[in-house]
Amino acid sequence: MASEMKTGLVLLILIGVSSALGSIIAPTTFYNLRGFQLLLFLLLLNMTLCVVRTLTGYIKQYNNRGAKQQYYPRKLGILLIHLGFIGILLGATLNVYYGQSTQIAILKGNQLDTADVITSKAPFMLQLDDFRVEFNPDGSPAQYYSDMTVLENGSIKEKGSISVNNPLQYKDIKFYQQDYGYVVKGKYPNDKGKEIEAQLAEGSILEIPGTKRVMKVLQYAPDFDPNRGLNQTTGRADNPRIIFSVSENNQLLEIGAARFNEKIDIDNNTAMYFIGVEPYTVLKVKSDPGLPLTFAGGLMFVWGLALTLLFKPVNVKPKGIMIG
Amino acid sequence: MATVFQVLIYTTLIAYAAGAVLYLAGSSSATRKGLLAASCLVVIGFISNLMALILRTIMVSRLPLSSSYEFILIFTCITVSFYLIYEFKTGEKGAGGVVLLIAAMLILSVVLMAQGQFGEVTPLMPALKSPWLTVHVLTAATAYACFALTAGLAARQLISNNPDITEENVYKIAGAGFTLLSLSIILGAIWAEQAWGSYWSWDPKEVWALITWIIYAVYLHLYRSSQLKSKTASILLLAGFALVLFTFFGVNYLLPGMHSYAGIMKGAAMKFS
Repeated sequence: MASEMKTGLVLLILIGVSSALGSIIAPTTFYNLRGFQLLLFLLLLNMTLCVVRTLTGYIKQYNNRGAKQQYYPRKLGILLIHLGFIGILLGATLNVYYGQSTQIAILKGNQLDTADVITSKAPFMLQLDDFRVEFNPDGSPAQYYSDMTVLENGSIKEKGSISVNNPLQYKDIKFYQQDYGYVVKGKYPNDKGKEIEAQLAEGSILEIPGTKRVMKVLQYAPDFDPNRGLNQTTGRADNPRIIFSVSENNQLLEIGAARFNEKIDIDNNTAMYFIGVEPYTVLKVKSDPGLPLTFAGGLMFVWGLALTLLFKPVNVKPKGIMIG
Repeated sequence: MATVFQVLIYTTLIAYAAGAVLYLAGSSSATRKGLLAASCLVVIGFISNLMALILRTIMVSRLPLSSSYEFILIFTCITVSFYLIYEFKTGEKGAGGVVLLIAAMLILSVVLMAQGQFGEVTPLMPALKSPWLTVHVLTAATAYACFALTAGLAARQLISNNPDITEENVYKIAGAGFTLLSLSIILGAIWAEQAWGSYWSWDPKEVWALITWIIYAVYLHLYRSSQLKSKTASILLLAGFALVLFTFFGVNYLLPGMHSYAGIMKGAAMKFS
């Protein structure tokens, strides 16, 4: 057996044993450890050597036999599997060093400047036109849609919808549906007694002029069930309520669940209303310059597998040549 | 329909278990009648297993690929069909006992853990709505079936002094399993890239599938370079199948991750723009 292969198998076993321990001891941090990544890098190096040596072996064989050289599709397959594996590892390495990934929330009607979250040569603006949830008959979510517009220098470049399993790609940046939520719209009097509107995130506190009492927006419950308290299940807006609390000097005075446009008396002189909700979407924003290489590697791997499955092994096993 | 489904599952369980007993008893006393009865029981078990899958397909109006027990039913069905093909082509019945025992235990786990879900029809969650689901799960189940068969053959080789099994056949089946497992991992990676924006996240299921992949890769390399003693080969194949089972049961119940489908719409750190 070639020494490269021996080393490669030892590396594979080391990677297997250490990642098994990692998945039990520290599943979130283990695989970022330098030591573990060194093992992966050594495997990449080892397999590159392996492929180079196999190729030079084939060339020598070809020169010795000349035109009588037999063509073994299975050997090509095994070579492709190893080359593909190298491609996957190289692509992943590029992603580790140059890839960027983050999560952002965009409120309906607002825009994201990609330059704020990802460094790229050609930043652009992404606008959330609408966020929709499609429901199954039993009320469980069927699909989440973020309708987006891509803008460059104020002009519309592309319109598209992002949903789970359907990311949006524009230039070198990809966007994935990850989560969503709602902000609550409230209406209350300002210090001159004039009614103003404000957007309130869940958990935010509202201090209304003219009263010592403060109002806190606890939760938007699309399908309110009084028995569930603050553990509402999210779902279709069959019975939408805003769960809120009113307090004064750190004393809780009231917890309520208001309908839209229902008058809430904060005290005898001050009242406010919740007038609606506005959805926001949470997207994963990613750029991975290694992805084309990883994809090409995966493709080579699959073609290699197909060749080895279709063609029987040959019994010629010269020393130092990749097994086949 | 749920009752019919339940009856089919019980029939499958009894047929597989009885078949396993007859195979195991037959291998020591070598009574031909017992072995013939065993083969008949396996065919009956296979047919009711297949019918259970067809019924489930009608119940949910899609291929039954989304829950653990549906996966086990597909896994056992393919395993037993592969065993029957193997027995038919080679005439060897030595692996029957262990393969059928594995199938019976798997069906037993379905009865013990998922009986309450037999009548349930829940819609697919958004992350599972992908054409990659079918190919990813089917290649995994077929790979696992190949590995179950090689485990049965390997066990037979270890137990028997004069095994009737051709090592080259075992190698070919393990090779096919390895190819399918590789495909399943790649298809899963493509799907994960589309659904979660990352083709590999060192999720416990991914890690243990990789470990399973590594042990079979080691076996194939050593076998092809003629470095492997028959006994070591059998032990590797049995260890490989133990890893398959851990990747399925252990990871599902002990090391939850993406594949428990809990982390798909988790709360995100809010940074409004």
